[in-house]
Amino acid sequence: MKILVIEDDATTGAYIADGLREEGHTVDLMVNGAEGLIQASVGTYDVLIVDRMLPGIDGISLVKTMRGAKNHTPVIFLTSLGGVDDRIEGLNAGGDDYLTKPFAFGELSARIAAIGRRPQMQDEPTVLRAADLEMNLLTRKVSRAGQPIDLLPREFSLLEHLLRRKGRVQTRTMLMEAVWDIHFDPQTNVVDTHISRLRGKVDKPFATELIETVRGSGYRIEAT
Amino acid sequence: MRSARRLPAIYSTPLRLTAILLAIFVVAASVAFSVAYLVVRSGFDAALRQDIDQTVATYRAIDNQDDLVERLSEDAAASHPEVRILQYLPDSGPRVSNIDRFPPLSGYAIVSEHEITAPDDLAESYVARSVRVGRGQLIIAQTRERVIEMGEVFLMILLMGLLPTLGIAAGAGYLVARRARAKLDAIQTTLSDLSAGHLAARVETGSNDNDLSGIGHAVNSMAAAQEALVMSMRQISGDIAHDLKTPIQRVAVILDQIRQKTELSAGQPELVDRALAETDRIVTTFQALLQLAQIEGGAVRDRLVATELRSLAEGIVDFLGPDAEDLGFRLDLVAEGPGPFSVVGDGQLLGQVLVNLIENALRHAPGGGTILVGLATEAGRVILTVADSGPGIPETERANVLRRLYRLERSRTTDGNGLGLALVAAVCDLHVAHLTLEDNAPGLRVRMVFPKAANLRSPAQLNAPKNH
Repeated sequence: MKILVIEDDATTGAYIADGLREEGHTVDLMVNGAEGLIQASVGTYDVLIVDRMLPGIDGISLVKTMRGAKNHTPVIFLTSLGGVDDRIEGLNAGGDDYLTKPFAFGELSARIAAIGRRPQMQDEPTVLRAADLEMNLLTRKVSRAGQPIDLLPREFSLLEHLLRRKGRVQTRTMLMEAVWDIHFDPQTNVVDTHISRLRGKVDKPFATELIETVRGSGYRIEAT
Repeated sequence: MRSARRLPAIYSTPLRLTAILLAIFVVAASVAFSVAYLVVRSGFDAALRQDIDQTVATYRAIDNQDDLVERLSEDAAASHPEVRILQYLPDSGPRVSNIDRFPPLSGYAIVSEHEITAPDDLAESYVARSVRVGRGQLIIAQTRERVIEMGEVFLMILLMGLLPTLGIAAGAGYLVARRARAKLDAIQTTLSDLSAGHLAARVETGSNDNDLSGIGHAVNSMAAAQEALVMSMRQISGDIAHDLKTPIQRVAVILDQIRQKTELSAGQPELVDRALAETDRIVTTFQALLQLAQIEGGAVRDRLVATELRSLAEGIVDFLGPDAEDLGFRLDLVAEGPGPFSVVGDGQLLGQVLVNLIENALRHAPGGGTILVGLATEAGRVILTVADSGPGIPETERANVLRRLYRLERSRTTDGNGLGLALVAAVCDLHVAHLTLEDNAPGLRVRMVFPKAANLRSPAQLNAPKNH
């Protein structure tokens, strides 16, 4: 993917750029809001990563200007602020996602993957599959290797979320936001507990593990 | 409730002042008229008495008793009792009179027509004198018609002068008072808006200068100063956030690079992980402090919308349920009644309150127990409770634990930063919810009573331009 990073802090900017390059992305790095805006307008990028506090033009104005000019490149905001209010403000300005500093690189990487390959509007599948696991969205029945699995509603949602994003890492924060609509940081590893329960039903009785832990990032169901 | 209580019009200072001024005017005018009336009346009465005295003197000048009786008889026949009453009771002989009966009296007196018996019409009242003339008792009564007419004239003057004056004064007073009251109301509304945290509220001040617009200007400059202060506070917390979090981010980046890209000897990756975990903790505490400052600054207030607490609580209980179960707790939601349990609020913040309270209960009661999230309504108010069976909080400490960074002695060794309950308190404050910590015997019960939804104005109303 072609990614533009607009971040004024040299250390953080280089860290993001290097990390993304290692993952095989093409990265341009700008340190000034005004220059970043020009670069975003002239170049064609798949994703923009924009810090909120920038010299020149601040991140919010930058994205608003971009959106005003009918530039719909997906934007991930990086921010030091990260209060509830800032999140809403960022999303209202036209941001697609929001990441609070300090962040783990895995979190950023997972969110870029999520945003770069947003599920297209296509025929809604009625059955989701991964290896020998089958989830029927109409009957809300799950089976693996022909054996029915009994899931609680929330476990069903969690598994459905992972299945719909097969092959992409879903971080704990992303799962909390998507499955429980929780946009703050509860000081516990609750998501791990939920995953471990889900594994108990979906993975444990079977030979291979479907739900994979990605160290430092989150969870993933391998694309098959 | 913080919003100003609108008192009935009678308590309005300008209206009361107008009423008091009018009352003083009426009393003063009445007193002045009464005094004038009394002075004039006593003058009239004195003149009447003098008249009577002169007549008496004429009769006394007649020495012969028979002549006197004869003269009196003539006069009595010639006088109409409506103008003058004559009654002579000689010591011997027949009574001379132009009426039937006159009440007994001595000296001067004022006699009303009801006391007199006569075949003819009488005047309303008379000045009468009873005096001894010759060998008999003479009563002469002179009509007070003129005095009474004068009284009526006075009353007419009083009413005709006073009533229109009263009407005009009352009308003008009411208009002035209403304008003053509108201005006072505007000031009061602005002040309560300000104290409720709507810092953009201003009093509309007209062009004319008076003491009320002076107060309005003063309120406005106070509000402007406060708004500037809050803005600069926000700016400062933003700056601090940026200036502190950026270096923390760098530390995290460097630590991450050490772990990923350098050869580490045994034990060193764990040290790096611990350092990373510590940066996380610093950020978490920092984030919590920033969030508290934001909430207390009222930044989120305009975002409050109708929020159903039942589905919110269900979500949170569902979210934390497996964790609670693993730790040996029973975590349940108990809703009393059918609801709805709708409040004007922010779902994320209220969710965070529930998570904080449940996590506190999980953290402080080692070995498990019961945690009940309760929903109830009482007189239109939604009550949210979180009750546990843990060690509770001593009564003397309950106010303290709501302070930021305060921790009970026994909690120093447990996880947590001492900001959880401070956030709960700040969020309750934001929602104008009444927060109490109670004894659950055993355990702690946190009780939040939300105001009736109607008592909170919707954001749309707050942003609407004020017309005063």
